[in-house]
Amino acid sequence: MNDLLIPVLLILLAPIIGGFIYGFERIIKARMQRRLGPPLLQPFFDFFKLADKRKMIVHSTHAFLGIMHFVSLWFALAILLLGGDLILVIFLHLLSTSLLILAGYSTRSIFSHLGANRTAISILCYEPVLILIAVSVFMITGSFDVASIFKYQEALLFKMPLAFIALLLVLPIKLKKSPFDVAEAHQELTGGVEIEFSGIFYEAIYTAKWIDYMFCYTLVYLFGANNPLLGIGLVFFVFFYINALDNSTARVNYKQMLRFSLLVALPIAFINLLLTILQSS
Amino acid sequence: MKLNFFRKKSPWILHYNAGGCNGCDIEILACLSPKYDIERFGMINTGNPKQSDILLVTGPVTKRSRERLVEIYAQMPEPKVVVSCGACACTGGVFRGMYNCEGGIDQYIPVDVYVCGCGTRPEQIIDGVIQALAILEKKSKELEQSVRLKKEPVKEGNQLNRRNIAGEIIKIA
Repeated sequence: MNDLLIPVLLILLAPIIGGFIYGFERIIKARMQRRLGPPLLQPFFDFFKLADKRKMIVHSTHAFLGIMHFVSLWFALAILLLGGDLILVIFLHLLSTSLLILAGYSTRSIFSHLGANRTAISILCYEPVLILIAVSVFMITGSFDVASIFKYQEALLFKMPLAFIALLLVLPIKLKKSPFDVAEAHQELTGGVEIEFSGIFYEAIYTAKWIDYMFCYTLVYLFGANNPLLGIGLVFFVFFYINALDNSTARVNYKQMLRFSLLVALPIAFINLLLTILQSS
Repeated sequence: MKLNFFRKKSPWILHYNAGGCNGCDIEILACLSPKYDIERFGMINTGNPKQSDILLVTGPVTKRSRERLVEIYAQMPEPKVVVSCGACACTGGVFRGMYNCEGGIDQYIPVDVYVCGCGTRPEQIIDGVIQALAILEKKSKELEQSVRLKKEPVKEGNQLNRRNIAGEIIKIA
């Protein structure tokens, strides 16, 4: 009973915690640029303001797909926190992203189409790496279940450091941070797939972003799972690493992103997989 | 539940240049820089009309850009306010009366706050936007809703008489 309490609380409070992460991130980013930055509760102010705005939808399927993106992402996070199958979690996350891509293609806006194209390419960049990491976890712990990582005696960070490096390389793609923010690209595409959403339907996309933060930082936490102090330390390290990277780099184009991911991050994950096979045999 | 309070906490800005000389636009971008930092009020330069609350327009409306201006204004969901930045956007400025320009944006869309200056100073822009926020907070829901009129317009001679309709709208609101 006690084991279930913390995951269930985390699942129920996921949008709120994610909102605080996003607000904190905006402050940190502003301080890195020597600005004051918005208040910590800014994401929630945005949330309530968007709830009040007039609803303008392109067509009902578009709005529905946007909401389903949010719901399926929350579901994926729930399975991850409850200790479900890691492969299932990754594919549910893929499902939620593909719903967003479908929403992008369902309108006639060119920017929306471009954003959907680029989101599809960014899936191609991070998905193989995540699956290879999941397989490495299987080789070490003997199970795809997230719960088995918590039961394992040693922290995964020391068992497979290369996988952590590969994760660090693909996380900016997944969180849509510079230099790999081609999918969102606010100066170029003004948000990509989210461009046609407005009012309360944009809120679903906006809140899904917060849940995505929770999802990614939970993945990071798994590397220090059996030692909470190490896990939280890793999460903070990755948080500052991603924001520093976001502030200090310019956007690459999608070909460079694809090349970097498939020629650098994927081989690192693959070598890690080979090493774990050697270790376990 | 009244959510009007949150409107002034997170105003998202859409910036449109209706054929100006770029002077005011650079001052608007200066507002985003560390010295003035309008993000501390929660403002974001979205660039997407469907998600923004404040329309910042610079430049006299050239005949090429007027259709886009009206289109962008129509795409913004209510509640929304318009701030015209600079002498050109307010009155037409030095371009007033030229063959390719109109005298200011208020000939096409309703303007809530006029910010003067050629080019406007960042302090003035921030002040204008803060004044626009007070207007944004007061804008009521009733203004947004479309009104279905029961009366048909009365034809008097060649012209439609709209006076009776106006009286009915005031009664509804």
